[in-house]
Amino acid sequence: MTDTYAVELQDVVKQFGDVIAVNHVTLQIHDGEFFSLLGPSGCGKTTTLRMIAGFEMPTSGAIYIHGQRQGYRPPNKRPVNTVFQNYALFPHMTVAKNVAFGLEMKKLAKEDIKRRVGEALEMVRLSGMANRKPKQLSGGQQQRVALARALVNRPEVLLLDEPLGALDLKLRKAMQLELKALQEEVGITFIYVTHDQEEALTMSDRIAVMNNGIVHQVGNPEEIYEHPADRFVADFIGETNFIPVKVVALSPAIVVELNTGERVHAGWAEEGLAVGDNAVLSIRPEKMDLLEPHERPQTPSHNIALIQGSISHLVYVGTDTRHTVTLRDGTNVVVRLQNVYIGEEPWEIGEETIVTWNAAHARILKE
Amino acid sequence: MERLRRNPELQAWLLLAAPVIFLLIFFMAPLLIVFIYSFLERGKYGGVEWVFTLENIRRVFDPLYFRTFLRSFNIAIITTLITLILGYPLAYFIANSPPHRRSALLFALMIPFWTNFLIRTYAWLTLLRTHTGLINVSLMNWGIIEKPLPLFGNDFAIILGLVYGWLPVMVLPIYAALERLDKSLLEAARDLYASNFHAFRRVTWPLSIPGVVAGSMLVFIPSLGAFVTPAILGGGKSLMIGNIISNQFLGAHDWPFGSALSMVMMIAMLIATVIYFRWTVKSEALA
Repeated sequence: MTDTYAVELQDVVKQFGDVIAVNHVTLQIHDGEFFSLLGPSGCGKTTTLRMIAGFEMPTSGAIYIHGQRQGYRPPNKRPVNTVFQNYALFPHMTVAKNVAFGLEMKKLAKEDIKRRVGEALEMVRLSGMANRKPKQLSGGQQQRVALARALVNRPEVLLLDEPLGALDLKLRKAMQLELKALQEEVGITFIYVTHDQEEALTMSDRIAVMNNGIVHQVGNPEEIYEHPADRFVADFIGETNFIPVKVVALSPAIVVELNTGERVHAGWAEEGLAVGDNAVLSIRPEKMDLLEPHERPQTPSHNIALIQGSISHLVYVGTDTRHTVTLRDGTNVVVRLQNVYIGEEPWEIGEETIVTWNAAHARILKE
Repeated sequence: MERLRRNPELQAWLLLAAPVIFLLIFFMAPLLIVFIYSFLERGKYGGVEWVFTLENIRRVFDPLYFRTFLRSFNIAIITTLITLILGYPLAYFIANSPPHRRSALLFALMIPFWTNFLIRTYAWLTLLRTHTGLINVSLMNWGIIEKPLPLFGNDFAIILGLVYGWLPVMVLPIYAALERLDKSLLEAARDLYASNFHAFRRVTWPLSIPGVVAGSMLVFIPSLGAFVTPAILGGGKSLMIGNIISNQFLGAHDWPFGSALSMVMMIAMLIATVIYFRWTVKSEALA
């Protein structure tokens, strides 16, 4: 098998009784990559991670770590370590003993263990806590002990199962940056499981978006956000407007018709769509703008969508304002505009408006 | 009334009053009487003469009685060890069963308690008796043995009876400790290169020690003071300290000596308990 990937999953299936937790997942994770498995709870991301760790065995398919097929190899024989969701620190051991555990099991010399535990605790800035018990530490400190306990073994791959889930928002933000910096410093492949899309976008080199055991899309954060592959990804990552449309043409240009009869062009259409199909036009609220009716361009262009509507709702959210616009067929779309105006909010409820966007930002997805 | 409402400390003491008074009258006072009696002379027809003496305490250490003392200790320790060896895997199995099966298994463990202990001990008698016991009779009928096995009237029979009686008491606290154990700790140990054996040795065992200590105490203490089991299964030949104490009160009418034996046994138990606690706490810290 190829040895260019840190971890490779080939057509992996995991069934628990009648439930298919992971459904034909194929993934290639590069060496030194910060790779996230992102999806709602129950999407199979944790099961996938546990199969890489060796806590679960795939029903079918193969898992390779640096080209080595894992098969039924137990967790203690795999070159990976895990940071658990609830940290799983040994409550009867001190911090130093917790961190030393893996090295002791590997039967390293006492001096080496002592030195490496010292280094690991320094790395996570807990040198002064070596003789404390886990209970005497804060949540953030426990989480850093868990990290040190895994990293001290210099695993080929570090598996992290929602490690920041139990921390409060502010600490979580700080730990995100810290984790990312640490990953770049040690250069170890991180596979990170999370349901928090913002966390995944902030930290990852690449993300696999999962739902119902299926990988919907793999890509870097920008690809995932800007070019969602299907409706689930578009909906799960960030905020998106879905406008029901009918496909009018797919080549040379993609053209769709709204329920209102208005036609617009789009930059991309999901594979498998045919002319005449019902579909949705997906467009991010911040990619849109509002025009006064008299501002309608004299020379219409295919690249610019222009849709009539009226303002039905305004929500001020600090940096910008969410304008809900009701189109003529009753469809609501949200337009986010930055609050750069001087004086008063330029739009008021009930006002007629034209919603506009660049056709390249619109993506036609299956319903 | 108003003062009581405002004073939580007073409320606490009032709540405690009933159990404290109960224990003072029915536990502390008798204990004190036993303590005092052990330094008095025996009365002619039971009871005591109010004359101070150390003779009772000296007699406890007379080889005649002291040997029984040591044997009782021995029996209690062996009983505790065997119940631990049998009880730990049982507790482990129950704790690792699916939740709906756990309660059924615990329930099954408690069923023997529905029958009176005395009756259950007599049931063993019918099994173990040398010439008429079910086991020896069957084995001889089948021609497996020619002479009856020494199953009755010895330490073997006593230990068997005690292990049988106290096994559930060992299982319950160990089960409680194992059931509380966070399974992700074992996964963490496995993830950190521990084999199943090492994961048990370094994580499961040390975290279950509080249950082992509690179970061992609950078995050791009543085994040391046992008196029904040796009386029945010891066949009148093999006695424990509990039988000697009861004889002093009921047969020999030597209350002071019975008291002295009780006092020494209690103190020995206390010392053994403290040593055991110290040792287990230390072995837990070393894990």
